[in-house]
Amino acid sequence: MSAPAAPVVGPTDVEPEEEEKTQSTFARLWFQHYDLVILPAIIVLVLGFLLIYVSTRELDTIEQRVLAPANVFGLLRQHLLLAALSTILVLIIAVPVGILLSRRAARRVQGPVLAIGGFAQALPPFGVLLLMAFAFDFGVTTAVIGLTLAALLPVLRNTVIGLQQVDQSLIEAARGMGMSSRQTLFRVELPLAVPVIVAGLRVALVLNVGTATLASYIGAGGLGELVQQALRLNRINVLLVAGGIIAAVALLIDWLAGVAERVVVARSG
Amino acid sequence: MSDTSDQTVVETPHGAGKSDMIVLEGVEKIYPGSTQPAVSQLDLAIPQGDIVMLIGPSGCGKTTTLKMINRLIEPTSGRILLDGKDVTHVNGDQLRREIGYVIQQGGLFPHFSIADNIGVVPKMLGWDKQRIRERADELLHLVGLEPSVFRDRYPRQLSGGQQQRIGVARALAADPPVMLMDEPFGAIDPITRDRLQDEFLEIQRTVGKTIAFVTHDLQEAVKLGDKIAVFATGRLEQYDDPDTILTRPANEFVSDFVGGGAAVRRLSLVELAHLELHPIETDERAVGGHNGTAVAEVDGSGKPVSWRHLPGGDAAGMPLVTVPISGSVYDAVDVMLDGCASIVAVVDEEGRAQGVLHWNDLLGGLRTRERHS
Repeated sequence: MSAPAAPVVGPTDVEPEEEEKTQSTFARLWFQHYDLVILPAIIVLVLGFLLIYVSTRELDTIEQRVLAPANVFGLLRQHLLLAALSTILVLIIAVPVGILLSRRAARRVQGPVLAIGGFAQALPPFGVLLLMAFAFDFGVTTAVIGLTLAALLPVLRNTVIGLQQVDQSLIEAARGMGMSSRQTLFRVELPLAVPVIVAGLRVALVLNVGTATLASYIGAGGLGELVQQALRLNRINVLLVAGGIIAAVALLIDWLAGVAERVVVARSG
Repeated sequence: MSDTSDQTVVETPHGAGKSDMIVLEGVEKIYPGSTQPAVSQLDLAIPQGDIVMLIGPSGCGKTTTLKMINRLIEPTSGRILLDGKDVTHVNGDQLRREIGYVIQQGGLFPHFSIADNIGVVPKMLGWDKQRIRERADELLHLVGLEPSVFRDRYPRQLSGGQQQRIGVARALAADPPVMLMDEPFGAIDPITRDRLQDEFLEIQRTVGKTIAFVTHDLQEAVKLGDKIAVFATGRLEQYDDPDTILTRPANEFVSDFVGGGAAVRRLSLVELAHLELHPIETDERAVGGHNGTAVAEVDGSGKPVSWRHLPGGDAAGMPLVTVPISGSVYDAVDVMLDGCASIVAVVDEEGRAQGVLHWNDLLGGLRTRERHS
């Protein structure tokens, strides 16, 4: 956008150019990331409709009690806690195991371990949660372990793949300059694998937010409780709100994770 | 070969008394699961300050040899001496920090800024931040990139040629006496490659490192090498200076490799810039008394336009043809045949005459200039 360069030289010349520059960075950001606005808009729209719908209805005392902010937000807090705890556990377990699997010495066990991970993911989480509850105990701990097992694979697989796709010549350059294999791992391989690992974490997180709905069946609370209450009390309005909130939370978390992913990718070049 | 670890000082055809920086003694590499050695019983001595080009067809063991010098590949047997010190069993990581290493396309870390890339080895050696910064700026200057512009950029923002320059700067960062280069200019377009090679020689003139350089390009080997080591499947076939390799190949393999028998092909390997050219005068006053020197008329910008005097006489009948000094003898011959001239003026980038080449020089053997004067 360099219009005919004005021959007039003066201090006033600089300012509009500067302004144009900041404007263009803003425009550039907008062009790169305008799609990020779409999802929050949909979420707001859906929640808005729900709110309008509920406010036009005559709510009986049971409905009012279940939909009271204290109840809803308490369950939401439990729900997010379940998802967060299990995702952190996934991170703590799957990333180191993935690193170990990608070391040369462990290449041979890589296939079998990934197969076991795939098997764990293929199991229906609901069944796993129930079986685990009977085998161990009902409650939050069991729920978190079950969620963790079900979400291990994406992170494990992405860690292995992320490390595998690091350009072999970069590893050779690192070793050739005298980095130890440890230094090569932490300063070259892992930083370059971060975008792929984070993508796996995002999948695990979203998976956990969704599956956490089932935790209420083994007494671990969460937004699934809202659904159960609605079904038990046969209140369609509550069910509608519960469904809407669960969907909105899942979408919102995915959106947040997506934003985080972009930040990480942009920073790691 | 002696088993004692005495200081090895072997006389070399190049400068007398120059000690050997890198010495390989009976080095052998047999990869696991293979019976055929990748490199067998190799003895090679690289004099201090020389560039030795390792060349050969793919799979000939040249890269294996290079990587055994810094022990990225551990030799199966034999020993490696660096500056007289046996490094066959020292800590490999420590050893590699003291040897510069350049690979194809630079191998720059995409998540490090240019300054951080250059500072990798100094950082490992525990230099303080200020010193690393200053060193990075110094090296950016050396490779012809403005520090204030490039320091904070990332590799992906640089062209291939610029990345390769940074690759060289990074290898020089801790000022190692020895550098290993693994086809550094292999993936670069011919024009940029040519310029990088010139710059590389220029830098080498100031830093004077001992360099082992793997290439598959004979032209590159002739241009850059003080000596050339020609490899065939795991064996060193000939180890000599470029002229000897080209004119007196030791055996059939080498002569095949350099394009055996086809004398004309060799012409394209000899660069005019490396030749001892006959002098040329362009000064108006230099007419008389210079029987042995060619004198040319020049135009306003210093470009020669016609001959005023030629050593053999008959300046009037001889058309003046020119060839750029960046070209090869092949180009010069081409120009001479094309212009029906038995003499050609070699000109620099600005078109100014640098010297002349006679047709007879081709018959009498071309004299290359001593590069380490």
